[in-house]
Amino acid sequence: MLGKLAWRNIWRNKLRSLVVVISIGLGIWVLLFLLSFNQGMITNYIEDGINTQTSHLQIHNPKFKDDKELKYFIENPETISETLASDPTIDKFSTRILSSGMVATSKTGHGVNIMGIDVDAEKQITNLSKKLTAGDYFPEGKKNAILIGGKVAEKLGVKIKSKVVLTFQDVNQEITTAAFRVLGIYETNNAKFDETNVFVRKTDLARLTNLPETTVHEYAVLVKDIEAVESTTAKIQAAAPNQLVESYATLSPDLALFESQSQLSLYIMTTIFMLALVFGIINTMLMAVLERMKELGMLMAIGMNKTKIFFMIVLETLMLALIGGPIGILLAWITVGLTSENGIDLSAWGDGMKEFGIATTIHPALNLGSYLTVGFAIMLTAVLASIYPARKAVKLKPVDALRSI
Amino acid sequence: MANNIVIETKGLHKTYDESKVPVHAVRGVDIKITEGEFTAIVGPSGSGKSTLLNIIGGLDQPSEGSIIIDGQDLSKLKPNQLIDFRKNNIGFVFQSYNLIPVLTAKENVEFVMLLQNRNEKERSERTKELLDAVGLSDKYDVRPTELSGGQQQRVAVARALAPKPKFILADEPTANLDSTSTRNLLDIMARLNQEENITFVFSTHDQRVIERARRVISVEDGKVESDIIK
Ligand SMILES: Nc1ncnc2c1ncn2[C@@H]1O[C@H](COP(=O)(O)OP(=O)(O)OP(=O)(O)O)[C@@H](O)[C@H]1O
Ligand SMILES: [Mg+2]
Repeated sequence: MLGKLAWRNIWRNKLRSLVVVISIGLGIWVLLFLLSFNQGMITNYIEDGINTQTSHLQIHNPKFKDDKELKYFIENPETISETLASDPTIDKFSTRILSSGMVATSKTGHGVNIMGIDVDAEKQITNLSKKLTAGDYFPEGKKNAILIGGKVAEKLGVKIKSKVVLTFQDVNQEITTAAFRVLGIYETNNAKFDETNVFVRKTDLARLTNLPETTVHEYAVLVKDIEAVESTTAKIQAAAPNQLVESYATLSPDLALFESQSQLSLYIMTTIFMLALVFGIINTMLMAVLERMKELGMLMAIGMNKTKIFFMIVLETLMLALIGGPIGILLAWITVGLTSENGIDLSAWGDGMKEFGIATTIHPALNLGSYLTVGFAIMLTAVLASIYPARKAVKLKPVDALRSI
Repeated sequence: MANNIVIETKGLHKTYDESKVPVHAVRGVDIKITEGEFTAIVGPSGSGKSTLLNIIGGLDQPSEGSIIIDGQDLSKLKPNQLIDFRKNNIGFVFQSYNLIPVLTAKENVEFVMLLQNRNEKERSERTKELLDAVGLSDKYDVRPTELSGGQQQRVAVARALAPKPKFILADEPTANLDSTSTRNLLDIMARLNQEENITFVFSTHDQRVIERARRVISVEDGKVESDIIK
């Protein structure tokens, strides 16, 4: 009966109730969509980081971490390779020789990390081969080929087939210079990465640094199931106690930072939205109570007790939220469904986003938990917001009913 | 036959002192009302009729004195207990009808019985019986806004009777009605009083209403001036 009364009461002022319902619906819609956008951005960012930079896990000589010197290569890489090859949870891996130095033309120079890669294995591990904007990915038979980032190419004023000079130390700390030919220019979603990394064949780098070709500074590993990354990492670490085995989460802590930052901004947005909702509801319900003072007094006069009056007001508020909430959730669900497949193209702002290593196409995604959480939060907000008006209603004196008019 | 005393006021005083000059609306009222009475409280505007009825109905507290309804001292009840007491013992009819606008005539009459947790069968039987008694058998599913003032006030009488209260309090029930509706309503009230022994206490200015009362308590300046039983 309380339900029937509350339900009919909310439709007394149709316009006002509709405004509340619509603002709850729109608010939830926008909020959920922002959430899904954020989720898509995080997923993108993590995937991009894995595909371009970190892979799922990497193995280094522990000393290499602090001091990236050529002499800190991995001892006995054959046993590590065997361990990796025989582990069923591991998909693929590649090995790298790493150095750092300067890439220069007659015009100018630029400091870079020089990644000596196994070009065939690397193709399977990172997306480098798919990110070429010009030229080819290490064509067969061309010695001293180099891949450089678009921005670096621009700075150096080089085009495909231009010559550049790499300067670096060999294993004996002798300064070495060698001429390389730019055969490919790449561009990933991460401008910083492009600016700091150039790629050459592992064999070329080994020869020039006087290291054996079998030298490994870095293993880049992909597992079959991303959920198993941490357990695999621990397992490999146990099998190779003298090496440092790290998962992508450890390798790029900015990833976690990014996630927590965007989580924080999301909480702030949610809080602002809920606060706006609280004040909107308080205002509306207070109006609904004040214009019904006489009627509420009459209800108390004829025997409706304060508890029932209180719950009637709470119920009225909850009903508005129960209509608006699902509408917003449904709209959000539809919008996320429509945009998640093809993504939202942000190329208009793309260059700015790349500075932060964020892809230009975001695929909004939202799990059931987020829908439920927001839905529950709305209900809770509605109930909390109705407490003040409901208390106001309860505090009325029934004698007002008889006195008025 | 010794009739039961349903209402007894003892040394009732009411002073409104919210404003700078205190208003003594009721100054020492001692009355007893027994079961089956049909009593009018009359007096000029501002004499304290509404104040008195509000106190008797437990809607307002006296500054001094006590009200005993059917043996229960109202001042001993906590706010929610007082609401429950009103629900079960006192029926109200207001000058401006005060029906629940979102409920139909039938639902309005049923409402207090729902608050009393009476069962479905009892509720619908009594609702029908009461709406028939006030001559509204064709208006069950009509909302108050579609009823005339007289019809609304008859629904209000049916609603007041629904929980089987000890008595009905009505503050100027006919003040907003035309003379036909007034006569009609009084006929119904008088019949219920005679046939069902329902106790009515109502205030009025209206000479035609005063004529129908069987006891007339005149109030002036917050005091009982005369108390005439016809
Ligand atoms: N809430 C209040 N605050 C202050 N004074 C009040 C209040 N209610 C009533 N009064 C005063 O108390 C006195 C009695 O008022 P009451 O309403 O009881 O008279 P009444 O006999 O019902 O008058 P009427 O015939 O006009 O309805 C009046 O002087 C009135 O101004
Ligand atoms: Mg009055």
